[in-house]
Amino acid sequence: MPLFLYIDRPTALHRLNPTVKVLGMLCFFVAAFVTQAPVAALPVAALVSVLITMARAWPNVRRLRFLFLMVFVMTFVIWTLFFRGGEPVLVCGPVRISAAGLRFALGMAIKLDTLLGVGIVFLSTTKIEEFAYALTRVGMPYKLGFTMTLAFRLVPVFLDAGATVVQAQRCRGFNFDEGNLLQRMRRYVPVIVPVFMGALRRADGMAMALEARGFQAHMQRSAFEHFPFRRSDAAALLAAVAVAALYVTLAYFGYTSVPR
Amino acid sequence: MAAPDRAEAIRLDHLSFAYADQDDLALRDIVLTVALGEMVTVMGATGAGKTTLAKCLNRTVPAFQPGRLTGSIRILGQPLQAQGVADMAGIVGLVSQDFEAQLFATNVVQEVVFGMEQLGVPPDEMRRRAPRALAAVGLQGFEQRDPSTLSGGEKQRLAIAATLALQPRILVFDEPTTDLDPLGKLEIFAVLAAMRREGYTLVVIEHEIAAAEQADRLIIMSKGRIVCDDTPATVLARADFLLQHGVRPPDRSRVAQAFGLQGATSLDETEAALRARWNPAQQANAAVISANPTNTPATNDLSSTPLVEAQSLAFHYESGAAALTDVSLRIAARDFIALIGQNGSGKTTLAKHLNGLLHPQSGRVQLFGRDLRDLPMNTVAADVGYVFQNPDHQIFAATVLDEVAFGPHNFALGRAEAAERVHSALEAVGLLGLEAADPFLLGKGERQRLAVASLLAMRPRLLILDEPTTGLDYDEQRRMMDLLARLHSQGMAILIITHSPWVVAEYAERGVLMSAGRVLFDGPLRDLFAEDALLARAHFHAPEITRLGRRFGFTPLSVEEFANAIGDKQHA
Repeated sequence: MPLFLYIDRPTALHRLNPTVKVLGMLCFFVAAFVTQAPVAALPVAALVSVLITMARAWPNVRRLRFLFLMVFVMTFVIWTLFFRGGEPVLVCGPVRISAAGLRFALGMAIKLDTLLGVGIVFLSTTKIEEFAYALTRVGMPYKLGFTMTLAFRLVPVFLDAGATVVQAQRCRGFNFDEGNLLQRMRRYVPVIVPVFMGALRRADGMAMALEARGFQAHMQRSAFEHFPFRRSDAAALLAAVAVAALYVTLAYFGYTSVPR
Repeated sequence: MAAPDRAEAIRLDHLSFAYADQDDLALRDIVLTVALGEMVTVMGATGAGKTTLAKCLNRTVPAFQPGRLTGSIRILGQPLQAQGVADMAGIVGLVSQDFEAQLFATNVVQEVVFGMEQLGVPPDEMRRRAPRALAAVGLQGFEQRDPSTLSGGEKQRLAIAATLALQPRILVFDEPTTDLDPLGKLEIFAVLAAMRREGYTLVVIEHEIAAAEQADRLIIMSKGRIVCDDTPATVLARADFLLQHGVRPPDRSRVAQAFGLQGATSLDETEAALRARWNPAQQANAAVISANPTNTPATNDLSSTPLVEAQSLAFHYESGAAALTDVSLRIAARDFIALIGQNGSGKTTLAKHLNGLLHPQSGRVQLFGRDLRDLPMNTVAADVGYVFQNPDHQIFAATVLDEVAFGPHNFALGRAEAAERVHSALEAVGLLGLEAADPFLLGKGERQRLAVASLLAMRPRLLILDEPTTGLDYDEQRRMMDLLARLHSQGMAILIITHSPWVVAEYAERGVLMSAGRVLFDGPLRDLFAEDALLARAHFHAPEITRLGRRFGFTPLSVEEFANAIGDKQHA
């Protein structure tokens, strides 16, 4: 199983300065976040689709298609049912569906999938080391940035350990599918405890190994990879900021929202 | 002893240490000097203090793991006092057994430069050092690989390269090969030999004799003390002494002891010394052994219904790599099978098919003639027990008793029946009296036996164990294997996955050798150990005593067998 979403490809997005990637991601998050109506959300979604194509990250979208689908459907259904206001087009007992509600729900669903897409563009084009570098460049202390990225790296490791523990307990007659929800939660104890204890042990071992490798030495760190700030980085950053600024302005004047 | 003209790399003066939460001393009055460029191997049982000694050399003890330290440590003439562990990184490199916990980066180059970045090495210098470090461990061409995709041996070599890049004069290895397969071990020993030629000062803690043979000095530790410090040839010849301190001696030393041979420090010398005393006319006796093997598979009777039968299994993982290709295996009720082969050869994948954890993409597995696909996991688990390699993947309960009772509980057995099963399982593994103990506080060997007990409580007909002796010291390995032998004699079928030649030879009856997802050999062990070409192909080798016997034209499986074959005639 490949551990990360990162895909090593020689694209212009991969070559961007890591700091620009982080800031660019934030810009697109903002742009997607301030939209409400589908008409406003769609252009951002289209733009992100172009970015995914540029990053050649569609394989990752395919890998996570279930997540995209779930987020879309769940968001749409929930917001359709809970939206208050607008002229109802269908009333059935407590269920009340309005045209505005449908539009709002569709906009929300597009928005959340767009946010996911932005995340995928970032993770597909950014190595963990670059991520750590960018975090320190935007002011985060190195230790904190490194710890965060290490946590990222360990997620698949623990998922893997979890799968092994489930197998080991099934060999002892452990059955997952019995009982109601509460009983099932309690039944997960034989899985959670070994994974958790393993995580603690591993953290201990890693901490020792990190120090043995000079982590926390009383010296000025150096960096192997230097990421220059090129003209293309400036252009990309400018474009991303422009998109965010445009959307914030539109949102400020109410052009992106669904009228009630 | 250090030659007077050589500078001191390490000097320990009456060093004693106790961990903060423990009363007992982990190290007792250690006096030790290692000269620059010397290679010293340290052996001893679990709890002898080897790892603590290693950690003292880079300040992990007591800076990271605190405790009471008395006496003094000097590294390259400088006393260790207030330094942090990280400050030692460019002076003493420590490589530990757990290679997974030593890798942090997303590609091989990043891993190698990680430490250099911490120590502020300039980028140009990193670019010079990284290729050298990778070349030293034979990982050129791996630069852009994701470390998680490397084999165990490659991961450990990468951890060594990352340490070498910091250019420490002294390197300390804490059981670097324990979790590796035979080929991985050979890779590490080759790296050690190269480093020794390069003039590094090496302290190597190992269970493998091969590491001891390469060294200038061999130290035996026991209960926190150094009990022996001499040339490897001298120490390895003291078979009884080694056994007494929980170290498995080389087979040739026990042969030399049995026959009173002097100065036979290699297999060749042992053979020559024996030939000088042994009349070739007596070879007839050796033939008797081969004709009447003491451990022949109990059943080769194809007419009886096998316990578990796998027929032409094919399986490949999602990544597309074939894990099993046309694999068939019949397991009879009284079998004791050793499943051997390189890591990645398909052993564990096959074993997981035998109890339905995995289902084949083609072919089928039957339990007493019923297809495993048609049986719920619970039904299979009652008959086929599977002990995972790492007991910590299953231990979760607050007490030993609860841990063992988990299986019977899942089968909804009556209270009396469950209690009786738990009791007899604990009795079988020698953990009676520890019912109320916290499993997480037990030693590795005890946890491994607890894992076995928790499956025994389900009274399986077949017990599968994945590397049951890995990470245990010699006495614990013996205990584990004697336990399995006892269960087998009581009628249980046993299948072990293992890399340990002597464990295979002394305990199993039938050998199944796998390579690249196929079964290369399936038959009596003695026949397997006569297949030199096949074994070489799978990077497995017979135990030393078997190889010695084959030079005399027979295939003994233990020192006792060898001694009997030759000794009987001598006295006749």
